[in-house]
Amino acid sequence: AAMLVPVGVLRLPRGPEGSSRGFNPASPRFQALLGEQMTAQGVQANLRQRYLRALGAARGHPTRFYLRAGVQVDAVFGAADVDAVAFQVDALRTPLGVQAAALLRYTDVLAYTFLL
Amino acid sequence: MNDWQRKSPLDWETYVNKMVKVGAIEKHEYEGWVLTVDPVSASIVLATFLENEKVSISIVLGHAVQEVEILKEGDDEMKQRLSCIFAPEESKAYSPEELEKRKNNLKTWLETNHIPVTEQGESGRTLCVAGVLTIDPPYGPEECSSSNEIILSRVQGLIQGYLEKQE
Repeated sequence: AAMLVPVGVLRLPRGPEGSSRGFNPASPRFQALLGEQMTAQGVQANLRQRYLRALGAARGHPTRFYLRAGVQVDAVFGAADVDAVAFQVDALRTPLGVQAAALLRYTDVLAYTFLL
Repeated sequence: MNDWQRKSPLDWETYVNKMVKVGAIEKHEYEGWVLTVDPVSASIVLATFLENEKVSISIVLGHAVQEVEILKEGDDEMKQRLSCIFAPEESKAYSPEELEKRKNNLKTWLETNHIPVTEQGESGRTLCVAGVLTIDPPYGPEECSSSNEIILSRVQGLIQGYLEKQE
C-alpha cells in the first residue's frame, strides 16, 4: 500500500479569534443573531432593579393608595410581592378603624404615592 | 393585559428620564419624571420634586395605565438627579470622583492579583469579577453580589483584607 502522506490541516472558514471555543458574545455574527435579545435582557434587568430600589425606599413611609371607585386609603407601606399580586401594609386606616396589618390586591389598586 | 403592558422593555426604556402625563382608568391623571417602568407589572414610577426639597413618588400600576404622553425630555442634570433618588445610602457619603477612584483602585488591585475584572452597567459603575460576581459602589464587601456562595465569600474576604490594608 502507498505510504500515507501527511497533509497540512487547512481550517476554513477562519475560526474565531482568541483561545475560546467559538462562542464570542461580542462577535458580529452573535450580535446580528441574538444581540437584540441580550440588550433587551440588560434593559429589563436595569428597569427591574430601579423598580426594586423604589419599593425598598417606600418601606416604612406613609402611603396613600388610590383604589377603584374614587376610594383612597392611607397606610404605611410594607412590601410588594414578587408576582405583583398584593401589597402588604401596616396601620391601614379604614372607615371601620385602623387595621394593624393588611393586604391590598394589586388589581384593586390604581396608584399609590409617598413622600421621600 | 392592555397596550401599555404589552410593550417591550426597550419601548418602556424610552420613557425613562422624561416628564410624562399618565392617563389612568377612572379619569385619574398623574404627572412626573419617569424613574423606571417595572418589567413585571408595567407599573410606572414617577417622581415630582416639591419646594421643600422633598420628592413625591407616585407609582401607577400597569393594569391601570391607559395612555402615556411625553411632555419633556430630561437634561443630563435631571438624569443625574433622578438616578440619585434611590441610590443606596452608602454611596451618598462619597463624591462621584471618590467613587471613581475607589473603583479604579480596587480594579487595579484585583488585576494585580490575576483576578479577571471588567466594568459594566450604567457608565461602568459596576465591577464584574470573573463574569460571576458584581460589585456596586462604594465597592465594599457588602456591595458584592453573586449566585455562587463560595466565590462570594472568597471575594468578600479578599476585599475586606484589601480595605483594611488601605487604612
